[in-house]
Amino acid sequence: MPVVRNGGRRDACPTTNSMETQTALPTEELLINMGPQHPSTHGVLRLVLTLDGERVVEAVPHIGYLHSSMEKIAEASTYQQYVPYADRYDYLNAMGNEFAYVRAVEKLCGIEVTPRCEYIRVIMAEMNRIASHLVYFGCLGLDSGAWTPFLYCFREREVVLQLFEDTSGQRLLYHYLRIGGLRNDLPAHFCDKLAEFLDYFPDRIKEYDDLLTYNVIFRNRLEGTGQLSQELCRRYSISGPNVRGSGIPYDVRRVVGYSIYPQLEFDIPTQEEGDAFARHLVRVEEMRQSVRILKQCLEKLPEGEINVKVPRKLKPVVGEVFERLESPRGELGCYLVSDGSEKPWRLHWRAPSFYNLQVLPELVRGAYVADIVIILGSIDIVLPDIDR
Amino acid sequence: MNTSIIYAIGAAVRAWSEEFCQGHGIPTLFVDILAWGIGAILVLVLALLVALFIIWLERKVSGYIQVRLGPTRVGPVGLFQTAMDALKLLQKEDIIPQGADYWLHLCGPVLVFTSFMLGFAVIPWDVKATLAANVDLNVGLLYLLGVTSVGVLGIVMAGWGSNNKWSLLGAMRGAAQIISYEVPLLLALVCVVMVAGTLSLTRIVEAQGPGILAWYVFKPYLWIPFIMFIICGTAEVNRTPFDLPEAESELVGGFHTEYSGMKFALFFLTEFDHMWFVGLLGAAVFLGGWQSPIGAADPIPGFVWLMLKSFAFVLLLQWFRWTLPRLRVDQLMGLAWKFLIPVGFIALAIVCVAVLFV
Amino acid sequence: MARAKKAITSTIAEAVVSIIKGHWVTLVNFWRPTVCERYPHKDKSLDYKPGPGYKGDFALITDKEKGRLRCIACQTCERSCPNGCIRVVPEGKGKERYPAEFYIDVGLCMNCGICVEVCPVDALTMTPDYECSVHDPRDLVRNIEQLTERGLEFDEVSRVK
Repeated sequence: MPVVRNGGRRDACPTTNSMETQTALPTEELLINMGPQHPSTHGVLRLVLTLDGERVVEAVPHIGYLHSSMEKIAEASTYQQYVPYADRYDYLNAMGNEFAYVRAVEKLCGIEVTPRCEYIRVIMAEMNRIASHLVYFGCLGLDSGAWTPFLYCFREREVVLQLFEDTSGQRLLYHYLRIGGLRNDLPAHFCDKLAEFLDYFPDRIKEYDDLLTYNVIFRNRLEGTGQLSQELCRRYSISGPNVRGSGIPYDVRRVVGYSIYPQLEFDIPTQEEGDAFARHLVRVEEMRQSVRILKQCLEKLPEGEINVKVPRKLKPVVGEVFERLESPRGELGCYLVSDGSEKPWRLHWRAPSFYNLQVLPELVRGAYVADIVIILGSIDIVLPDIDR
Repeated sequence: MNTSIIYAIGAAVRAWSEEFCQGHGIPTLFVDILAWGIGAILVLVLALLVALFIIWLERKVSGYIQVRLGPTRVGPVGLFQTAMDALKLLQKEDIIPQGADYWLHLCGPVLVFTSFMLGFAVIPWDVKATLAANVDLNVGLLYLLGVTSVGVLGIVMAGWGSNNKWSLLGAMRGAAQIISYEVPLLLALVCVVMVAGTLSLTRIVEAQGPGILAWYVFKPYLWIPFIMFIICGTAEVNRTPFDLPEAESELVGGFHTEYSGMKFALFFLTEFDHMWFVGLLGAAVFLGGWQSPIGAADPIPGFVWLMLKSFAFVLLLQWFRWTLPRLRVDQLMGLAWKFLIPVGFIALAIVCVAVLFV
Repeated sequence: MARAKKAITSTIAEAVVSIIKGHWVTLVNFWRPTVCERYPHKDKSLDYKPGPGYKGDFALITDKEKGRLRCIACQTCERSCPNGCIRVVPEGKGKERYPAEFYIDVGLCMNCGICVEVCPVDALTMTPDYECSVHDPRDLVRNIEQLTERGLEFDEVSRVK
């Protein structure tokens, strides 16, 4: 009599039960490495999968391949020197990271920035949110096998990046925000170019929806995939569009109301279903809301100075701050401890991707191999953000 | 038009060589063997050239759909790009992974390539111009489906022989998919066979003339089989939305992950040739093959019409690929077994009634 | 919360409509102008030059009236660089102080632009020059001659206007 070997994890996967009654053929679970070199792990995530046919029995994420000591570097550099590093770990949201860090330092030193500066910072953060969600949209298309949306998304993202380049001199890692202000004021043509983009961008979103979101194959792939319940969200401290896709209207822009967000009108899109498609819809709607925010910002953008005087040798008082804001991936927190010297004593990032990734093994259990890439894409992780 | 240029040339060469053989006392069987050999080589060369062209076309089409340019550097509008790529692949090191089964790894691509090439034997290129000109295989369609499904074995061999788990998963998916989609494909073709009353491709084409309205695609009771043919044809070629065996975002490269150099090129050429082959088959079965849309008075050779029709299919498949996402493996199977096959039987019943009463 | 099931007819109709819509989008985009340019072939219209303020390759600005570099070799840039990719070797004392050597390792540099901002005499600038690739990584270390030569066309620090 052949022995049924399946690693003793029979109860972990619902499908193995049917196998048991069906046959006495010796079956084995397949242990397979997804990553670190794999086209759909959004970087160098490594998943050790235990497969039963095409079904996932167990998935264990291994992280750390992109560890770059981002937090330790802060302890060795002055407050100003660290700003360009803040760009570098969640590279799709560089402006947002700078925003979080700069706000933390300003809170620590008690610096008040000018209104124009606040508006420009919010404009940058929201533009970056659009750019980041466009990358998400395109990559989810790639993960599900549709190549074309990726290039359409990058065509539109290119416009945003061009504006960033004209403003900050860089296309991806900007180093535009400064403690107490900005690198420079907006270039002359910025507002017109941005307004032009905002005019046609909603039509493009509709085009993406026609091409991908409401495509029947895509919907079938996403609906019911990666069901994230509200209870799981709370247990794993999920944030961002993921939690809003499960019907919890939690958005730091609204809950904390930092910067000028309380003065702006925008909705917090939520979906009740909690599957990959709900998260997808939330992100698409967030792009529209960002357009709305940007239009209001352009209308209200005040004239005036952008910088306040900050001493070159910045020595905050002894103390600690925690500053958080809404990055495209969720709640981004910056925890800063000062010992009164030129350099931070400790810096810690509450990186949204890191927390969101933790729920992955729960989501992929019992799913198909093809669902893993969809789920991974739909929780929208950025690997350097996880490994820091 | 009773004969075609291809037939005329073939017949003239044949008559001359038969005369030559009789003059020198060589048995005419030799001429037959030579004729088949030359015909096979001609078709092979044509298939390879067309594959190179289709790869270029694919890259151009995908380029313009994705607001890119596609290849532009080698030759006018990058026309020689794929030829150069083939040369590059020829020079590449043939890597056989450690622990791979050498013979399976070698035979996989060869078998895939051969099985699809065999299918070209019964394609009616023009009036009286199949590969074996005077031998009209009266079970052409059956033969064709038979030889092309051998290719599945090649895919499984490649996946198993590579000693790679991703390849194995891809090969299993490929086998399941191709076997499943043979059934609705067969059902769609059987509808046509019932209307034409023959399994011979030549006669199916002959039945669709003269004029555009005699094509089977314009018979309302063959619309469902036509759509089924397009869906199953796409699945047979393993292209998006049915490209699960190679699904690069899930399985890295599927069954050809571990292939390099010329073996990879064989897979690659086969994929594109197969696409053209489905186009040829679709053209022959539904679009009247070499039949001209305006009937017999058309001076354009039938071969040109056949090429135009098959390339229309190829463009359609390319359009699908660059628009649609990929199905999941269970949805793929569900589509075949729970939807296409029942629909196929319904279509078959409709055609039965139509054949009886129309 | 599970999604509601729909009738099979409406599902099929929706499916067909969605697929046709998708193909329509790709068809429309097929005829749209392409966004690609044949870089580095400059035969089409590739005259792209980043605007002022672009953080590209470095240059040292020469004071044309005095006929010497503006740089006073104060080494502020060297100290403030987060990666430590700048090295300045000063020569002379007081007002005569000048850089005998000035190295910037562009391969190590992360183009943050802090060095340009902290410069008290606006002697260092980043140019809109973005084609920095070389065949040998050692060539990525810019020395004072290269920096001076590149800076000859600049009178002021390149800034966003």
